[in-house]
Amino acid sequence: MSLPVSVAGFTILPISYAGTSTHYIYARSHTGSKKNPTPDLPDGRTLFLVNVPPDATERELVLLFKGCGTVEKVVFDLDAQETLVENDDSDSDDLGSGEEENDDDAAMETTQPRKRRKLNKPQPPKVVPLPSRPLRRLRSTGRTAHLVFLDASSLERALAPQPKPRPWPTTSEEPSGLAHYAALYDSLRPPLDIVREHADSAMELYDRPSIAKGEAIVDEDGFTLVTRGGAYGQTLGGGVAVASKVFQETGETGTRKKEKKQKTNFYAFQKAEKQRNDLLELKKNWEADKAKVEKLKSSRRFNPY
Amino acid sequence: MALNLKRKRDGDVAPRKTRRLSDDSELGSASDAESEKPGPENEGGGDEEWGGITSTQPATVIESNGSKPKLPPTGEELRVINDAQNLFKSSTFKLQIDALLPNVRPKAARIPPLDRFLQTLHGVLMASPPVAPQHPLEAARNFLKKGVSVPYCLPQPSQDTNWKVAFEKPGDITMVGSWPNKISVKGKDGFKFGVDLAIEMPSNLFQEKDYLNGRFFHKRAFYLATLAAVIQDAKTLNVDVTYESASDDPRLTKLVLEPRKDKTPNDFTKLNARVCIIPVLPADSPIALNRLSPSHSNIRISGDSDAESLPTPMYNSALLTALTPKPLLLSTFALKEHTPSFGDALALLRVWANQRGYGQSSGLCVCGFDSMGSWWAVLLGFLVLGSEPDGKKTRKKPLGRGLSSYQLFRAALDFLSRHDFKEAAFQKTTEGHKFPPEEYEAHHEAVLVDSSSTLNVLAGVPIGSLQLLQHDARMTLEKLNDASVGSDPFASVFLEEHRDLLTRFDTVIRVDIASAKPRSPSLHSTLDIGSPANALISSMTTLLRQGLGNRVNAIAILNAAPSTRPLSQALPTNPDVIYVGLIHDPHNAFRLVDHGPAADEPDASVAERFREFWGDKAELRRFKDGRIIESVVWDVKTADERSQVPAMIVRHVLQRHFGLEDTAAVQSWRGFDEVLKLPEAISRVYTGSGTVLGFKGAIVAFDALVKELKSLNDELPLSLAAVSAVSEQLRYTSVFNPVPLSESLATSLPPNARYLPAMEIILHFEKSAKWPDDLRAIQKIKLAFFERMANALMTSVKGLKASVVVGDPMNTSEIQDNSRLEIVTPEGWTFSARIWHDREATLLDRLIIGKNALPHINFPSEKKKGKEQQEAVDAKEVYVRRFIHAPRHHRAIAALNHRFVAFSSTVRLVKRWLASHWVLHGHISEEAVEILCASAFVGDGTDLQVDPENVVAERASVPASKERGFALVVRFLKDWKWDEGLFVHLYGRECKAGDPLPASTSSRAGVWKISTEFDPDGKVWTLHGPDVMVAHRVRALAKATWNALQGMEDGKVDVKSLFIHPTDDYDFVVRMDPAALPRYAQNVDSSLAIGGRYANLPREDSPAVLRPGFDPARLLYDDLQRIYTNTFKIFCDPFGGDRFGAVWDPTLKQPRPFRVLGGFSSVPVKKEKEKDKDKGLVVLNEASIFDEIKRLGGGMVSGITVQV
Repeated sequence: MSLPVSVAGFTILPISYAGTSTHYIYARSHTGSKKNPTPDLPDGRTLFLVNVPPDATERELVLLFKGCGTVEKVVFDLDAQETLVENDDSDSDDLGSGEEENDDDAAMETTQPRKRRKLNKPQPPKVVPLPSRPLRRLRSTGRTAHLVFLDASSLERALAPQPKPRPWPTTSEEPSGLAHYAALYDSLRPPLDIVREHADSAMELYDRPSIAKGEAIVDEDGFTLVTRGGAYGQTLGGGVAVASKVFQETGETGTRKKEKKQKTNFYAFQKAEKQRNDLLELKKNWEADKAKVEKLKSSRRFNPY
Repeated sequence: MALNLKRKRDGDVAPRKTRRLSDDSELGSASDAESEKPGPENEGGGDEEWGGITSTQPATVIESNGSKPKLPPTGEELRVINDAQNLFKSSTFKLQIDALLPNVRPKAARIPPLDRFLQTLHGVLMASPPVAPQHPLEAARNFLKKGVSVPYCLPQPSQDTNWKVAFEKPGDITMVGSWPNKISVKGKDGFKFGVDLAIEMPSNLFQEKDYLNGRFFHKRAFYLATLAAVIQDAKTLNVDVTYESASDDPRLTKLVLEPRKDKTPNDFTKLNARVCIIPVLPADSPIALNRLSPSHSNIRISGDSDAESLPTPMYNSALLTALTPKPLLLSTFALKEHTPSFGDALALLRVWANQRGYGQSSGLCVCGFDSMGSWWAVLLGFLVLGSEPDGKKTRKKPLGRGLSSYQLFRAALDFLSRHDFKEAAFQKTTEGHKFPPEEYEAHHEAVLVDSSSTLNVLAGVPIGSLQLLQHDARMTLEKLNDASVGSDPFASVFLEEHRDLLTRFDTVIRVDIASAKPRSPSLHSTLDIGSPANALISSMTTLLRQGLGNRVNAIAILNAAPSTRPLSQALPTNPDVIYVGLIHDPHNAFRLVDHGPAADEPDASVAERFREFWGDKAELRRFKDGRIIESVVWDVKTADERSQVPAMIVRHVLQRHFGLEDTAAVQSWRGFDEVLKLPEAISRVYTGSGTVLGFKGAIVAFDALVKELKSLNDELPLSLAAVSAVSEQLRYTSVFNPVPLSESLATSLPPNARYLPAMEIILHFEKSAKWPDDLRAIQKIKLAFFERMANALMTSVKGLKASVVVGDPMNTSEIQDNSRLEIVTPEGWTFSARIWHDREATLLDRLIIGKNALPHINFPSEKKKGKEQQEAVDAKEVYVRRFIHAPRHHRAIAALNHRFVAFSSTVRLVKRWLASHWVLHGHISEEAVEILCASAFVGDGTDLQVDPENVVAERASVPASKERGFALVVRFLKDWKWDEGLFVHLYGRECKAGDPLPASTSSRAGVWKISTEFDPDGKVWTLHGPDVMVAHRVRALAKATWNALQGMEDGKVDVKSLFIHPTDDYDFVVRMDPAALPRYAQNVDSSLAIGGRYANLPREDSPAVLRPGFDPARLLYDDLQRIYTNTFKIFCDPFGGDRFGAVWDPTLKQPRPFRVLGGFSSVPVKKEKEKDKDKGLVVLNEASIFDEIKRLGGGMVSGITVQV
């Protein structure tokens, strides 16, 4: 009659909602994969949560687990399998919706490292972020989150079975419901001068010449980077030719058409054959039509009333 | 033998093959399998082989191989095939006709019982005892004792009549009509085949003067009553005997014998036929034919000297029908012998007509066409043989006998569609005209005289019914000529029923004529026409035609077809309810002023007649050009009301001339207007504000904005190339008339009526190389542009407000266009502008193909491409839809609005309907609805480019009222098989619908496929929905609505009920607080709350913060749809809906093993007993989801109702 304590290795954490209902979060300690250990989610003090409420904020989760210990950070939605495996961009999850500021940061971080690695350029100019009011980000239901505690003992406390459901904390920092939508509406329309600053600084970032003229790029294995352009293609800086686009896509060089070797309708037999084929075609269509009508007939379609 | 040959042939082929291989390398892969196939298909070389194939031996080889016989068709087959293709529309059409015809003809095996019965009947009738002459009233009294009343017609015989009625056995009994000629066609609604027996009354019963005052008809009635009594009493005939009167005219009463089921050899119930007994005059009757010409007056009304001279064409015509059955039989027989395809063509024509209500059936029948069996044959005869010259007009040339049945059918439609029925037509006769041709034209509305040159078969058919026939013929011809539509027209021409009122007429009015009192009743016309009810209907059509004039192409009256009545009932019961159907002429129908005679008209009686006709509506008016004219002005407040003008005229005429007041007597479903309007309390505020409202106002505001934007060129680095509108409010298709909402206006409106929709526009700048080559940078540059424009606009236009919307809460992809400029004009119109940059497409394509600027460098992060690529695909889809298709679509739809009067209101009505049933927007896009509605208008798209000002004749299938358009769309949705797709010629291009495209393999939800010239895949607007479930739902909705619309024929429909959504099917319904919804005023049912307590109080409670386009209900709906996409399916009405309905995914209710990425909120399954093994099952946690919804919609959601 009682609820099981755990399911498939997950501890069940009942949460009582403001109404009468109970929500269930499934928790487990996080174990990173051997191959790609993730620095952001250290083993031993990271809690893996399943079925996080869709409107949960970091603040609310921190409050929920306040009794167990101090939470260092919350990472939402590490749900895609690939990210669990390779974890390249663990910090930029941008499937959901949300604040501009976060996304801009994420944008910078995803585009930045590559350039930095290759070009060893000085730090790019900083983008002036758009102002943001704390907004709730609504994720899909039944998603996951990682909770990193400050120490390992908190994790144990968090995983201890709960006799009584904990109440779901509600914070007033991030509005919800109608107020949320009003705030969202307003935050999407920032003052114009901030928009300008944001746009200008962002443009400055993109305007930086990514590849300097006259400088060949050679990768780790010693290959020169070549791109198409000019009459013969060009290296970025060098003089190595690149094949035409047509060749690249079709594997054919010439544009000359093949001539047909045999004329049609030249010999008598060709004409006769054509005529006969036409007749056969005629009959074939006729038979096909007949079959079609027979089919319709069988479905009693021809009784008008 | 065959095997031997095969082996031998293989041997022969092999060396030749090798020889040819060197010639043609493409045959290099030819294998043994191929060489086993018959030679001529894959190898054509070598005369020797070819000659061998045509001989019979190799053919056996081929068949022995098991493949299909590939013989060329024989001569006979070839002739059949070619005939089918040349003489019919297509070979399928011919085959379908062949399949149809046996189904509408009587089954030969069931005929013998009828023949036996007829023999018995003949014996009985010939042995009937004579009745001595007696006074007609006395005779009737005698019969009354037997339960048979004599159907004497008007004027009834009186005590002082000095002639007598008598009975003698029939002179002759002949089968007449279509049965003996074997051209009978099954009737609609299981109506029985009619077997007509002409009973010749002996000529000695009649006198020369019997044509006067209905004396002939009285004698005929007595004869009929005697026959009825005889048959009823006959022991050998087991039949029910009833009276029936053609067109409810008591003069044309006949006896109907229907068999009772008794398994005797005479029982012909299985044949589904009935025997009709029609008394006729012998050829040598004493009644002189020349007394029966249309201009003769044969009714004398005592004491009324004026009426004496008035001709009685209908009376004469009714009398003539007693003479014609036999000659008609003979001429039809001759025709059938003369033209081989006559029988089939007649069957096609009659099936076509029956499907459209021109024939007897249990449903409504076009007035005048209930007993018109002979007309169709006479019509075909007229076409085949040509017309009899009548001196003045050009003679119609005969078509000749060589036509196929389809060609003849088409010729008939063609004639009907072109013929001016005001002109008389005379079938070719052998002896020339019997009556002067001019007399017919003078006294009948429409004339087609049969080959005996006496009877006008169209006598008594109102011209309005013929107009409708003409309209139907035109419509069918359009369908047959429509080359582009992939679907076969056969079904819609012959198999589908087209009798429903709403898809057929632009305006339908139900009139209860029981209480009608004609303003100027005419005794003469009642006597001429035969019954008061028919006279009433006849004068009604005349007056309505006069009132509507050229506003309508057809005014048809529909009523119930005559039915049989027991012998004890002398006169037919007349229907109480008739339907008036109007087909508008779109160019004139909505005219507001009708002009009459000028004030200085010398003939005072003209003005007098005008005033008499219109009553107090007629007034003398002075017009701008100085003329002073009697005129009638129809008072119309809004553009929507204008569509009601024809109905208003009908009401007025009926009220003035027939005393039918505006109540249940005259119904014309006006409720459709109501659902497209804001509540009265709200619209009053807007109209009081004095600004230009509606679509016109929106377009004026848009034009002004474009001007302002163009003048900004100095302020911007690039000049603006084009501004295109893409909003439904700027193309006349938004459900509600667009209204501006300024702050001053907002304060006088309740907070739940303060929704201000933003109209989308698209800005296109001139080309420039300065744009960055990075999608993210492009989005940022757009922001910079918007900021610059916003500042410039706000300085140049006083009172204008502009803000930049940075992003879209639903979509955060950085490479996708998602920022816009929101402009609120001083008057309160709101626009939302986006920038179209065409290079985005190229850049997105690169991402999708997976090649960036450096195509062959394999980045280590290649695996990440999947996600980026998906993002690019999504962005591209949005880009193409938003910037390529939307402006084009907008232009096409706006053009359609100018082209077709009823288009925009049809779209609005359909949108409202779909919205009120909670599927618009969330599941079906507005654009998809627009194209769907366009399909009812554009046809094959050939005449889209015509200048709307000088269209000569609109296609007949184009609806000219929104009610008809709506009904057409509903009918379409009811039957649409969406996997077959729909091709709409929206752009009027010369573009043929090609072969049906392969089913889209896209994993997206949408199942509808609506293609246009620019969108052959048909998925642009239906990619995201409706999915299979919603599509089925829409079909079910359409079916239910259709059935409800059919109820209109009983006068029972409340239009608003079509727009009230039943919520029983939802698993739970989220209720919202109407006060929190800015759009609540648009709700179908909103009148309850609006104009409530606070209507006249200033509203201090909520400061008037205007948030254009802010619709929290929709935002919540979108969020719920996204968050719980795999948990439930949610529906709502975008127009102020205060409830969401949702249906759980049924599979989630079953316990299932716990998964990390289950994607739904779950609860562990409780163990039933303590020691049960824990299976780790979870199940949907409904209660917590309800609490989450309440939390997400805090401030709006007032409760959730769970339905079981």
